[in-house]
Amino acid sequence: MSPGLRSLLLLLALALLAPFAWHVAKALPQFGSPTAAYGATVNALGPPLRHVSNMVAAVNFDFRALDTLGEESMLFCAVTGAVVLLRGTRGEGTTQRAGLIPGRAVLARSDAQVLVCRIACTLTMLFGLYMVLHGTVTPGGGFQGGVIIASAVLLLYLAEGYGPWRRLIRSPLLDVLESLGVLLFVGAGAAPLLSGHAAMSNLMPLGHFRDLFSGGVMLVTNFAVGLAVAAGFVMLLLEFLEETRALQSDSLPDEAQR
Amino acid sequence: MKALTAALLLLVAVAGPSVVLSRDPRRQLFALTAFGALLAALFEVLQAPDVALSELVVGTAVTPLLFAVALTSIALDRRRR
Repeated sequence: MSPGLRSLLLLLALALLAPFAWHVAKALPQFGSPTAAYGATVNALGPPLRHVSNMVAAVNFDFRALDTLGEESMLFCAVTGAVVLLRGTRGEGTTQRAGLIPGRAVLARSDAQVLVCRIACTLTMLFGLYMVLHGTVTPGGGFQGGVIIASAVLLLYLAEGYGPWRRLIRSPLLDVLESLGVLLFVGAGAAPLLSGHAAMSNLMPLGHFRDLFSGGVMLVTNFAVGLAVAAGFVMLLLEFLEETRALQSDSLPDEAQR
Repeated sequence: MKALTAALLLLVAVAGPSVVLSRDPRRQLFALTAFGALLAALFEVLQAPDVALSELVVGTAVTPLLFAVALTSIALDRRRR
């Protein structure tokens, strides 16, 4: 198809769709002031029913926890798929050295970079843990805290370089942690079935409003999501960074020069 | 609409096409990172701190890293060996 014909086809399609798009756009609520009925209802019911102040957590980990279980499984499957694909083509073998791109200079890490990244890694890790633990009180929660922890691990990579980082981060441990997170979520959802209640019922003590320990089963599901997301994302980073390692057969650069 | 919201919307509108229109993959990577950071700021201003936190980490740390690794992997060129 020639470019001219393609543009013509595009214009034709746009002209055809424009009236419908305009019709839908006109029916949308005003920008900046959309107070949906669902949001108002959740805001009104959340504190008395569940004793939590973060309504997003109440929806994610209690009212619609089954949806979150689906998302959780989706992330689990996506990470598993990526790991299987990458390891499948690369093999199980590991090396402790980063690969070298031919013709690109290797610059040593400066002390400043190491120091800043180590400090930032510690603080980011702490912040991630804080975010996971305070999921039911302040904005954030398991997913956000989990990805923040994963980014702290990435900062550790920037500080230490490939070899030492690879020695610190072990993939069997990540396998166990990620599976544990998903199992914990499934367990928290299935446990009420044993006592004759509906799945995902919130049977644990609800605690006090605006307290760290509030929300009952949300504390468990929130922590489970944090665990699974942190381990899953670190696993993803590990598998991708493994793609940049040196091959077993590669010789060391200074050996090659001699 | 507040001035901050308007400014951020405008910046996002500029950053989005800049990701698509930059042709060098490495420049595109930085454009994508900037776009992610701006989106995170916009979400925060629109009172969605949960989404902003996710976008901040996924959009400015994880996604660019995966692209950077993919580019490095291509440059390492394992298949030819």
